This record gives sequence, structure tokens and C-alpha cells, in this order.
Amino acid sequence: MRMLALVTDGFGAAGGIAQYNRDLVTALAQSAAVESIAIVPRFGKPDQQLPARVTQVAPLGERLRWSATATRIALSRRFDVIFCGHLFAAPLAAALAALIRKPLWLQLHGIEAWPTPAAIVRRAAGCASLITSVSRHTRAAALRWCDIDPARVRVLPNTIDPRFAPGAPPHALRRSLALEGRRIILTVSRLSSSEGYKGHDRIIAALPRILARRPNALYLAAGDGDDRERLEALAREKQVAQNVRFAGYVSAEDLPDYYRLADAFAMPSTGEGFGIAFLEALASGLPVIAGDRDGGADAMADGALGALVDPGDESALVDAVVAALDRGAGDASLAQRFAFANFSRLVDSLVRHRLQ
Amino acid sequence: MPHVGSRLMCGIAGVHAYHYAANPVRSCELAAMSDHMAARGPDGQGNWSDEESRIGFAHRRLAIIDLSEAGRQPMRTPDSRYVIVFNGEIYNYAALREDLIARGIRFVSHSDTEVLLHLYAARGADMVSALRGMFAFAIWDRVARTLFLARDPYGIKPLYYSDDGWTFRFASQVKALLAGGAVSRDPDPAGRVGFFLLGSVPEPFTTYRAIRSVPAGATMTVDCAGAHPAVRYHSIAKVYAEGAVAPTTGAAVEAKFRESALDSVRHHLVADVPVGAFLSAGIDSGASVGLMRDAGASAIHTLTIGFEEFSGSSDDETKLAAQIARQYQTIHSTRIVSRAEFEADLPRIVDAMDQPSIDGVNMWFASKAARELGWKVAISGLGGDELLGGYPSFPAIPRCVRAFYLPSRVPFLGALSCRLMRALGPSLGINPKAAGLIAYGGSYPGAYLLRRGLFMPWELERVLDPDTIEEGLRRLKPLALISRELSGTRLAPFARVATLESGLYMRNQLLRDADWASMAHSIEVRTPLVDSVLLARTAALDWRGSGLSGKAMLAAAPSRRLPEAVVKRAKTGFTTPVAGWMRDGKGEGESGGSATRPPRPWARAWSQAVDARFAPSA
Repeated sequence: MRMLALVTDGFGAAGGIAQYNRDLVTALAQSAAVESIAIVPRFGKPDQQLPARVTQVAPLGERLRWSATATRIALSRRFDVIFCGHLFAAPLAAALAALIRKPLWLQLHGIEAWPTPAAIVRRAAGCASLITSVSRHTRAAALRWCDIDPARVRVLPNTIDPRFAPGAPPHALRRSLALEGRRIILTVSRLSSSEGYKGHDRIIAALPRILARRPNALYLAAGDGDDRERLEALAREKQVAQNVRFAGYVSAEDLPDYYRLADAFAMPSTGEGFGIAFLEALASGLPVIAGDRDGGADAMADGALGALVDPGDESALVDAVVAALDRGAGDASLAQRFAFANFSRLVDSLVRHRLQ
Repeated sequence: MPHVGSRLMCGIAGVHAYHYAANPVRSCELAAMSDHMAARGPDGQGNWSDEESRIGFAHRRLAIIDLSEAGRQPMRTPDSRYVIVFNGEIYNYAALREDLIARGIRFVSHSDTEVLLHLYAARGADMVSALRGMFAFAIWDRVARTLFLARDPYGIKPLYYSDDGWTFRFASQVKALLAGGAVSRDPDPAGRVGFFLLGSVPEPFTTYRAIRSVPAGATMTVDCAGAHPAVRYHSIAKVYAEGAVAPTTGAAVEAKFRESALDSVRHHLVADVPVGAFLSAGIDSGASVGLMRDAGASAIHTLTIGFEEFSGSSDDETKLAAQIARQYQTIHSTRIVSRAEFEADLPRIVDAMDQPSIDGVNMWFASKAARELGWKVAISGLGGDELLGGYPSFPAIPRCVRAFYLPSRVPFLGALSCRLMRALGPSLGINPKAAGLIAYGGSYPGAYLLRRGLFMPWELERVLDPDTIEEGLRRLKPLALISRELSGTRLAPFARVATLESGLYMRNQLLRDADWASMAHSIEVRTPLVDSVLLARTAALDWRGSGLSGKAMLAAAPSRRLPEAVVKRAKTGFTTPVAGWMRDGKGEGESGGSATRPPRPWARAWSQAVDARFAPSA
């Protein structure tokens, strides 16, 4: 099978979608049913050796240029399937798939697929032979607006990166952040005001009640963004500024150590497609707290892997955080159900049986 | 041959955690689903799950005579590769069994369940085309790690499923799936809109987004990525198309029909339990009883439901039914139902109703009476009107299409007349359906909707909120749903109407109602006139070209033909006072404005009362 992959973020791009695309293409390249994969990205220049049988053209940035190049490649070479890595591009991908009379595979990540999209996008998605979604939540949301046989919409979750595993506590990092003697509640996420759903503010607001019960607790927010000022102001307002640390941007290399210095991971979010950070935390052996209204329920396997709380219920959040701090290290092997080997087998099955 | 009764009247359920991320199957969930179906099989239950708890089956049974463990379900092959749960009857199981034995298969029981198991092992998914009967079953293949589900050609036996992306669940009843506690109750606007349009929820939709029906005449396979789209293996339209290629005409028609009908009745009598028959004053049930006699059934028990209100009136069927019973020398009972009994039973009726329906009350009382008489199995004449053109829709729909074919193709005329009639109709006392004649009447699906419609699409705003209507119509696509039954085949007018009536009204309304209403009383209803083999043979007969009437042909099928009075009475229609009881009964609902004269006003009021019971309490 020769595949054309139209994606926003290819190899070399940053962020969760880029990570997902890398995992997916890597798994596809391992499938004996796949002959070649041609990636046409908007962003990303490969900074690593591409898997065998995978090629990626130079990033095209701007949408129109990207669409034109995608069209030219789709029509000039032979492909057996078109993979569309983002909902916004579904109309283009569906048109190309119809032109070359080949199946369309559409990937849904998270909040982009929750509200009802424009009619043209809806119709295009309805033409897909296969839609994969990162979580049951996103799948259910898409099935509200997309008139497609639900059997064509499958769930392909995020997978864990083996770099995240329990390890020696990073004393140097602990010292540099002045965290000695503290019990650390960690959130890893961008602090984006446009994505103000992650729940940093809910944790900060709950911190006085958490401190009242566990006085040595400290909240560590890893990640940077334009919402930081508001969150800092909130910490001052709640008089917990000395118990909150903003670590700023953390590089991918340093990230595993941040999980290793924490005692619990909490992200009572309302907008996770899946929440890759939950898996990183689980794999690092942390007790995890997620919101119960989004893809976090998948990452927590309905509570089997971690606690699910109603993000609007501050008391429930306080109880869950205190319980997580008291419980200590979790069982890192629990996260293994999301191991890459499982992901890869599912991708192989999808390629073989779902693209007729 | 002893026919093991333990597979009679079953409820089946299962949970399969197919996705690697899904939690193992919880036995308490399966138990809750099974408990909800206690009436379907009050005498016992069986459960099975694999070692890793990735899949579990539950089975409810009503053991009739043979309490041996040999027919017990869930049943496994000796090598444990295949496991089955099955609900229904395979009428040709003995022949299939002989065939498998000839090929070296060894059987440990005489049950048809075991036949299904080995047939699947031998032939895979194709095995369904060899089956004659009513069935819903699921087979787990431990080696391939696939779950296979199948449902009979007409959809006599129900099978519902829910697939959330990680876990697949199935059950004989929608309410059993909900009882497990893990399936979302989020209402499906398509199900509610479909119910108000047609009086029953058209499959594959249900009133819940998360639950769908395995389509009639279809199979489904679930693998490690979840359910695959359903595969239709049977299409009524295609059977008619094939039958029309080289039909039998002339003098041979009647004899061939008699032979086919008798063959079907004979197959439906397979069982060593006494088989009774529901008898009305109509041709379908009467001829079925006559054919039972011809098939050699001895000591036939018959049962007629009568209503106090009708005593002595022309609507009273009991006298004519008794005359049929005398002619065929049956052991006959008449059971009178009163208004007080109806009102007392109403809460239980609505409770037993698996999906909202505007019908099923007659079957409820017939089954209740059968239960009182100690019956286990009842033959019903259901399906005769669909097979042999007994409804007024058979002439009416083609007539409508001919008349409105041209006007319906004038741009905007349909929409314009629809608006005009909606504005003026009520004050002129015009039937609301008239408003849609030009817009809908020019095509078979449109004319069918007009004919069978409870509320017209433009009337839905009386009973549903605008968002539900908009989303429901978008998801349901009523005209596409109706025309899908025709499978794109080119059919004669009779075959088109027969296909639509069988694939929509009978499937979604009559058969579904027959299932819940009879199962509530642990009675198994068998329908010899709803049979895929009989359909194929009848579709290959050109009786109309031979100047015959279908129903007269059925009346003449028994060696002692039905009394003339029965043939003459035919098509006053099956009347009950239930309409009246519902209308002025509880004061529930409203008939939608007194200025209009909507069709079947009681049905409209009843539909609103039923919907209120199913709608989520906000």
C-alpha cells in the first residue's frame, strides 16, 4: 500500500500532534502491508533519520501552498490511500481521494473535532473509509455531527514514549527549583490563554485547602505561555505564591526528570483529546488526576489507572490531590497497556482490514 | 427425534473488551444485563468468559422439557475454539446436522445451537445463507480473536449493540444494554424523529445514540479494532428481483404456493412441545391453522382474543374464529379482554416495551392468555398481508406514484403546495397528509411515508423541539432510509410495496412488538408466513398475471379451504377497541389541535405518551 500523508506537523515539528504523527508513521512503516509513505507537512524539517520507506517533502507552511503541492503530488504519483492528519484539511483530502478513487483515512485529535464544523468539512469527513480518533470522547463527539457508519470510526490512542520511566530523583533539578522538603504536584502543559482549559487555575484555587491538609505541598507548573501572568496573579490573590513554581519552558530532553521529581500529577482539564502528559506521568510512576469530561477518561482507563475528578468540583480535586500525595509512587507498569507495541499492532490491523 | 427445548425463548448478551486499552469485562455488568432479561428465560442462566476476561457471554433460558445439560449455553466446541450464545429457532437444523455428520462432525447434543457452532467452524460467515429460521447469535473465535454476530433475514429476533470505541456490547434488548450500566443514555434525535414519523423506531437507530440494531439479514464482525460495518446477506428486494426473472405462471401457481406454504408451516412445527396458534377471523391465521392440520399436527390448540365492547358487533371476531376452529377440529379457547384489564396492565406493557411503539397491545394480551393456558409456543399468521398484498397500500401506493409522478418533478411546486396546504389546510379540514402529496407522492419512498406516516415531517414541530427535529431528520434521512430497502433494484409495483411493507412496517413495528410482547409472557411466537424460503418461492410465482388474488390463494391453500365467510370478511381490517381505550383513557398527551383531523388521532396521542416514558427526564 502506497500512502500519501497530508499532515500539519511532520517529522521535526514540535508538539503533541507532531508526536502522534511520528508514532503513527513509525508504526505504519513497520507494517508489512505498507509499501511507502509520502509525507506532505506544513511544518517540520526532519531532525532524525526517517523510518525506512518514509519520505517527507520540505515544509510548506502557508495553507494554499501546502494544498497546491499536496494536489500536485496526489495527482502525479500513484497512491492507494490518502491519510489526512487534521480535520481542517478534510475537504481537500476528500476531494483528492475522490479524484484518484482511493480510500480516505482521517485522523481526529481532540477539541478541533468537538464542535460541529462547517458543512463542507462535515460532508468530507462523512466520505472517509476510516476515521481514527485519539479517544472514545473525541469519537463520540465526532459522531454527533458526522453522518458516517460508527463502525468506520475507530480509536487509536496516544502511546507512551519509553523515555518516560521511573528513575533516580534528580537532586540537582530539585535544588535549582528550591523544592527540597516539598511534596510536588506537577502539571505539564503549555500555559496558553486560548487553551485556558487545562485546569492550572483550578489547582491554584484549591491550593489553600490542600495546604491546610498537607502543609508541605507545592504546585509546579512546567511549560510556558501567555497565560502565565494571569496564573501568577491568581496565586498571589489566593496567597499561595510561595507554594507555586512556574518552571517555564522545559525541553523534551529535560522533561523525564520533571516527572521524576514530582509526587503526583494533576491536570483537571476540560479539553484533552487524550492527554499525552497523563501517559508520561503514569509511565514515570506517578499517581495521576485527570478531569472526567474529556479524553482524560481514556488515559485513566475510566479510573483504573488514575483518579478522575469533576473539574468543577473543588472539594473532589482537593481530596484526590491529598490522596495522591499520601499514596506515594504508583505502579508504572499500569501504563504499559498503552505501549507502542500494542499501538503498532492496531495500526497494522487498521491498514489491513479497514481501508477497502 | 427429541428436540432439545432448552434453547427456546432465550435472551442473550455479551461484552467484548476488544481494544487493548479497554478494562477487562466485569462479570457484574454481564450479570446485570442478563438479569434484565429474566422474563425471556426465567428457568436458568449461563455465563461464560475467557481466561483473560476480554470477552464474556450471558444466556437466559427457559427450559421446556429437556433439562439436560447438553443443550446448555453458552456452548463451546470440544476444542474450545468457538463459543456461542444463540436466541431463536433454526427450522432446518436437522438437515444441516445430517450434512455435518456426513462430513465427519461428531455431535454431543441434539440442539440446533450445536449445529450453528459447527456450521460456523466449517463455513465461516457464509453459513448464515444456509439457515432457515429466526435467529440472533454471537460466536467467539478464540484463535482468530473475532466476534461474529448474525441476525435472521427478516429480523424476527432482535439484536442490539453498543460500541464505544474500546468495548463492544450486545443484547437481545435495548433495555438490557442499559441495565449493564456502562452504556450512555444520550438520546438519539434520529430515533425519536423516526418514531414520530413512522410509529416505531426504524433500525438501525434506537432512541439512544450509543445503541444500534444489527440490521435484519446482516452479519457483523468485531476484531481487535472494533466492529466492522454490518454486511447484508439478505435483501427482500433482491429476492423479488430474482423471482421476477423467470416466474411460474398459469395453472401451476396455486399448487406451487400451497406446497410452499405447507412446507413452511411444517418447518415451523419442529418441536416436541405442544404448539398452539393465535386465531383471528382473518385469512392468515385461519389458513395457518388449516395448514398445521395438513402438516399432520394433532391436538392443535387455538386461541382467540375477544373484546367486551365488540360483543355482538361486526367487529367481533370470536364467532368466526370459533367457526374456523370447528372446521379444523382444534382445541379452542376464547379469552375476553376488558377495558379494566387493559388499564391495569398498561404500566407493565410500557415497561416491557423495549423501544417506543404505537402497537403491540394485541400481542400482549394474546401472549398473556397463551401463558395462562400453559403454552410455550404459538404460531401466528403475522406477515400474510406483506407477502400476499393484503394491505390497501398495495393498490394505493402505485396509484399515488402514477398520479403525482409528473407534478412532483415540477421545481418548487411540491414545496409551494406543502406550504399553502399547511396554511389553509386546517381551516378547510384537509388531512395534513394531503399537504405532502406533490412533494412526496411521486416516488415510492415518499408515497410510503405518506401512507405509513404517523406525523408528517412538517408536523414534527408539534411534538419535538426544533433542534431535535433538525438533527434527527439529518441523521435519519427518512426517504433515503426507506429507499435503501429497495436496494436500487428495478421491481414491479407489487414487489416494491411488498418490500417496503416487509422491510419497514413489519420489521420495525410488527415483529419487534411481537418479540417484546410475547417474551414478556415467556411465549415464543413463530411466524410461518415470515420465512425466507417461502418468500423466495412466492416471489417466483406470478399469481397476479394469472388472475389470482394472493389472499384468496392463501385461503385456498389448506386441503379444507377456509369458510367462505372468512374470505368474504377479509379486509375489514383487524380492529380492536384499544384505540378507543387509549384515546379517552388516561388523558395523556393531546391529539395535536382539534381544528385538524389528523390520521389515527389515538395513535398520535399514544405516541406522545410513550415518548414521554422513553425521553430522558431532564
